[in-house]
Amino acid sequence: MSEPVLRVDNLVRRFGGLTAVDHLNLNLPGGRLHAIIGPNGAGKTTFFNLVSGLLTPDSGKVFFLGRDITGLKPHEISRLGIKRTLQIKSVFPQMSTADNLWITAQAGTRFLHPFRPAARDRDTAERVERTLAQIGLTPLASRAAGTLSYGDVALLEIGMALISQPRLLLLDEPTCGMSPAETDRAVEKIQELARSIDIVIIEHDMEVVFEIADDITVMAQGSVLTSGSPSEIAADERVREAYLGRPEDEDYVEEAVRA
Amino acid sequence: MTRRATIERALLVAFAAFMLAVPWLIPALINGFWVSLIAEILIWSLFASSVNLLYGYIGLLSFGQALYFGFGMYGVAVGIDQLGLGFWPAFGLGIFAATAMAFVSGIFAVRLSWHYFAIITVVFSLIFYFLAVTQKWLTGGDDGINFTLPPTFSFGGTQLSFTSATFQYFFILATVMLCLWLMQCVTRSPLGKAFLAVRDNDVRASLIGLNVYGLRLTAFVMAGFLAGVAGALFAFFGRYASASYMFYHVSGEAVVWAIVGGAGTLFGPLVGTALFILIRELVSTHWEHHSLIVGVTAILVVILAPRGIVGLWRDVLARIAEPADVERSVEPAAELRTEP
Repeated sequence: MSEPVLRVDNLVRRFGGLTAVDHLNLNLPGGRLHAIIGPNGAGKTTFFNLVSGLLTPDSGKVFFLGRDITGLKPHEISRLGIKRTLQIKSVFPQMSTADNLWITAQAGTRFLHPFRPAARDRDTAERVERTLAQIGLTPLASRAAGTLSYGDVALLEIGMALISQPRLLLLDEPTCGMSPAETDRAVEKIQELARSIDIVIIEHDMEVVFEIADDITVMAQGSVLTSGSPSEIAADERVREAYLGRPEDEDYVEEAVRA
Repeated sequence: MTRRATIERALLVAFAAFMLAVPWLIPALINGFWVSLIAEILIWSLFASSVNLLYGYIGLLSFGQALYFGFGMYGVAVGIDQLGLGFWPAFGLGIFAATAMAFVSGIFAVRLSWHYFAIITVVFSLIFYFLAVTQKWLTGGDDGINFTLPPTFSFGGTQLSFTSATFQYFFILATVMLCLWLMQCVTRSPLGKAFLAVRDNDVRASLIGLNVYGLRLTAFVMAGFLAGVAGALFAFFGRYASASYMFYHVSGEAVVWAIVGGAGTLFGPLVGTALFILIRELVSTHWEHHSLIVGVTAILVVILAPRGIVGLWRDVLARIAEPADVERSVEPAAELRTEP
């Protein structure tokens, strides 16, 4: 088997007294759609922040395709091919939909020409048009992204992921706040993307997770509780416990035993 | 769009024609003093453009641009008075000093964001203001440096210099317009779009692969260049350099001019600067509290027209010109309805 697309070794990140990510070990093989679930505060988004460089770990290492990327800057990690979306939809609100895609397509290039008119770049313009058609936002191309509806912003986010040609895509709750119809559309796009790109997705909507994921990792209190196929996870008693806590009387019993 | 573009082009042509006619038109209508007042407005609007490039295009609010204006000024004055340079080398020295200083202070300043950035720009500007006041051997202290103007061009016996008010006006007009044209090129380039992305959402910009720090530093150096050109021009215009122009109060004025005129638009700073300098000139002779008008106007514009006067004008223009366009695009649907 080849090198895993993403590997983290003993990753630790503390915020004051709180250990958000606590000796996390993960090994994500390529070619599969990987979902990370877990109760609030399990450290899922912190994990994404550590991988994408928005945060640096207190200890531990992150490897992307075998390369140590620990401590690199966000734009350096992005240029290696790891792209991510943010939990709260986040585009460039005052720029047009087309320009959002345009700058995303160009952002990876080392040299941004300071004087040549951007409009003269036919290549990028064509890629933008193709992507707009793919996500169905062509009629809204010149609208400021800040004026788009929530569902359209989510589509734009997916378009931005597409046009950036990622090797690994980290999606942080992509369907959060969407209507059922919008969720269906987003799920369809994500499955389409997953055929050519490695995807890691954080998601709270269990229906979505069990529909699209090949593998599921459950996080609790900053480390991995368990991982496996959707059916294994669904049957796991500890997962239910992590989400719902255990009944109080059981705690009682345990304490009684210890005493 | 076409109608709107036509109106905008017509305005631009009218503006260009007016600016070119100023040295003859204004003395005939008012008096010669107003020609140099308009030249002064042009210089200060270039200075306000430097604030605009930072605030309007990459989202950094600097209250310290006077520092680079001052470096441009002193570069010219020291170059001529102490080093005996000619016009062009002194001009170059002023611009270089300002740009280099912007690079050095930018390395530290753009690491910080928002209010911390604003504060550090003020701090830098204050440090060098006090240095300029105390280092009399170099800067002349409170008196500043007065110098004699070298000629700008000399062909054999004939010389062109700022002593001719007409030449001075056209030199300033050409330089300011050249700088604005350069700025227009940058803002429409890939680099300019990257600036806008950083302004809109810096975290996201870094996640798509933009080097936010590098882009901010680039913009900061460019803004230092614009402020430096303005300062160098002002030194030639006034034939002196003085530390008082490095005070942060001067920076603050440029921020108000840029925001009231319309940050993020090319001509916004020019409109804002013209408005406030005209208010000052027209009102200050009759009423000593003219800065009250400045304050009230600034507050009103910020509350009622957050995108400044140029932004307000664009909204009006959109309302005048767009209905025609909307009708045009709706037409086919109307035809369909008449079919049955």
